[in-house]
Amino acid sequence: MAPPAEPSTGFKFDNVKRNQLLGDKGYGQPTATKTGTTIVGIIYKDGVILGADTRATAGPIVADKNCEKIHYLAPNMYCCGAGTAADTEFTTKMFSSQLALHSLSTGREARVVTAMTMLKQFLFKYQGHIGAALVLGGYDVTGPHLFTIHPHGSTDKLPFVTMGSGSLAAMSVFESRWHEGLSREDGLELVKDAIEAGIFNDLGSGSNVDACVITKGNVEYIRGFSRPNERAVKEQSYRFAQGTTEFIVPTATAQGEEAAAMDVSA
Amino acid sequence: MDLAMQARPMEAPIEAHNHNRWSPYVDNGGTTLAIAGADYVLVASDTRQSDGYLINSRYSPKAFVLSNNAVLGTSGCSADSKRLYEVLEQRAQLYQHRHDRQISTPALAQLLSNTMYSRRMLPYYVFPVLAGIDAKGAGAAYSYDAVGNMQRVTGVCFGSASALIQPFLDNQVRFKNQRDADPNRLLTREEAFKIAVDAFTSATERDIYTGDYLEIFIVDAAGAHKEMRELKHD
Amino acid sequence: MFLTRSEYDRGVNTFSPEGRLFQVEYAIEAIKLGTTAIGIRTAEGVLLAVEKRITSPLLVADSIEKILEIDSHVACAMSGLTADSRTMIEHARVEAQNHTFSYEEPIPVESVTQAVCDLALRFGEGADGQESTMSRPFGVALLIAGVDERGPQLYHTDPSGTFLRYEAKAIGAGSEGAQSGLQEQYHRDISLADAEVLALKVLKQVMEEKLSNTNVQLAKVTSESGYQIYSKDELQAVITRM
Repeated sequence: MAPPAEPSTGFKFDNVKRNQLLGDKGYGQPTATKTGTTIVGIIYKDGVILGADTRATAGPIVADKNCEKIHYLAPNMYCCGAGTAADTEFTTKMFSSQLALHSLSTGREARVVTAMTMLKQFLFKYQGHIGAALVLGGYDVTGPHLFTIHPHGSTDKLPFVTMGSGSLAAMSVFESRWHEGLSREDGLELVKDAIEAGIFNDLGSGSNVDACVITKGNVEYIRGFSRPNERAVKEQSYRFAQGTTEFIVPTATAQGEEAAAMDVSA
Repeated sequence: MDLAMQARPMEAPIEAHNHNRWSPYVDNGGTTLAIAGADYVLVASDTRQSDGYLINSRYSPKAFVLSNNAVLGTSGCSADSKRLYEVLEQRAQLYQHRHDRQISTPALAQLLSNTMYSRRMLPYYVFPVLAGIDAKGAGAAYSYDAVGNMQRVTGVCFGSASALIQPFLDNQVRFKNQRDADPNRLLTREEAFKIAVDAFTSATERDIYTGDYLEIFIVDAAGAHKEMRELKHD
Repeated sequence: MFLTRSEYDRGVNTFSPEGRLFQVEYAIEAIKLGTTAIGIRTAEGVLLAVEKRITSPLLVADSIEKILEIDSHVACAMSGLTADSRTMIEHARVEAQNHTFSYEEPIPVESVTQAVCDLALRFGEGADGQESTMSRPFGVALLIAGVDERGPQLYHTDPSGTFLRYEAKAIGAGSEGAQSGLQEQYHRDISLADAEVLALKVLKQVMEEKLSNTNVQLAKVTSESGYQIYSKDELQAVITRM
């Protein structure tokens, strides 16, 4: 009997054992960039508002001060991502393609539940190894929808949701101020305050607030909806005079000649 | 449903929290630097005190003025830093009573080294800098490791943003990699002040543990005085 | 004083009804049996001079040591039961080294003196947790000479643990005569060279034997060179200047 053919797509787990062995011997595992993050979503009077901070971290270092965490999924759907940056990026990209194909083959606008189901099935398949924590929002023929999808594949459908390391700070704002039938202005203000609670109280979150308002037949993506952390002006200039840095000028020398390769006089 | 998994998809960045072995040490983040000049010395530190992704306090100073006007700047475990300051201040007062004179900065520097080394097997998790005026009236800054190794320096930085700031100080305070600069030139206090402020506003941009407020102590023959600046709170 | 002897003069830590500690007072008396020692402070440094009693021609004079170094900037001269001074000087030396270890600086002269005096009353049975090194008071007085950032200083300590600072001081058998001699001839701006001559002159007045470079010892502590003891030749040079 022939051995089962190796799958040509998807993840390979060939190196799991090897990596475990190396890990046990004290060699560190490769680390992925994680976005300590605050992402939120609410249902308001006319649809859904999504919000996100813009900090990406690599350990204690801020890797990107103004990254985009609200990803496009379909014309009527956006998805905020928290967790491993590459996983949220690729998962949403993959499913934006899948949803586009779905729309083409059905001839209809995709529904939010469809996207949610595809995402949860995909994440469940990988048993949490794909570190994507998502807030999915959109408006379809059945109205506005808001979901959270956890890395292991579980989902929630709620009128206000938060995710990421700043989720507790953001949720405290929603729990005290969210109510049914919020206006667009009040909804955006609430989302802004929830994200800012994460930005200021969670070290994994920072910089600006991005927002996305999804209504029936319309999407308004507001990059830098709030910018409460502008960089301070420096006390002085750090321009160096020309020639401050030493450098080496490579010079060709004929064989046998005294080599005078280094010239730092310039 | 694994609720713990849901509540925090992120792992806290501190190793100690991930393993179930308890550790007596906590890194509360934050950064301290010192710059010594001809007749002054400067200590600057941010006031954020954190644990993992949580901010415990936006204003928890980690530079302390001792009774002889020297300033102890710290970083590492905030509880250990405060205790180290209390012990050092007590010993400085005791010196004053026993010998009827204020303890000098070099004497206090040696005392701090001894105090740190006395805890060789269970060290204070503190990386201190001690700044004051020496017997000749010159600015003196001493830097230490956690077990008391001491060095007199002109520009030093410890803490969560030290890897960002130390190379900047090497270049701007000790003129490293600047071809036509005089490596022995000491900064004026105005120059040092600007460099300290810029070091911290820049570090705050990229180090998540540094921020909130900046305290700058300038020590000279007249004593120690403090200046405050606001840093970003995110 | 000796006529009022009572049972109170036996216990080393019992006050008499008049409020006196006889054993301590007797210890102070013991100093008056000792050889004479003199200290003179000048602006340049402090001078110490002691008499050695050569009781037998077979005695090796060099084996009598009555001026000792405590640290490179502090020295002391003694009178009384000189063997008792060993404990005190050892304590002073340890304190000086501890100070240098702790603070990377020389110990102040007054602090050395205080440290020695802390020992003085640590006799008797000892209180709880406090170790007593002696069963009786020390029978020795010290002249502690040193230099620090306050300049040259001379201190006198006695068995009661009291210490006082002096410009010039004499202790021992000839102390009364020597002290009045010093009082007459000492002046504040005396030079170290003049102090050398003065010390030997005063010592000579109170000594029974003829003063020579073998029966006296001279030492100085200066800001420049710290503690220095005079060699026989250096001593002779001073004697010829007298």
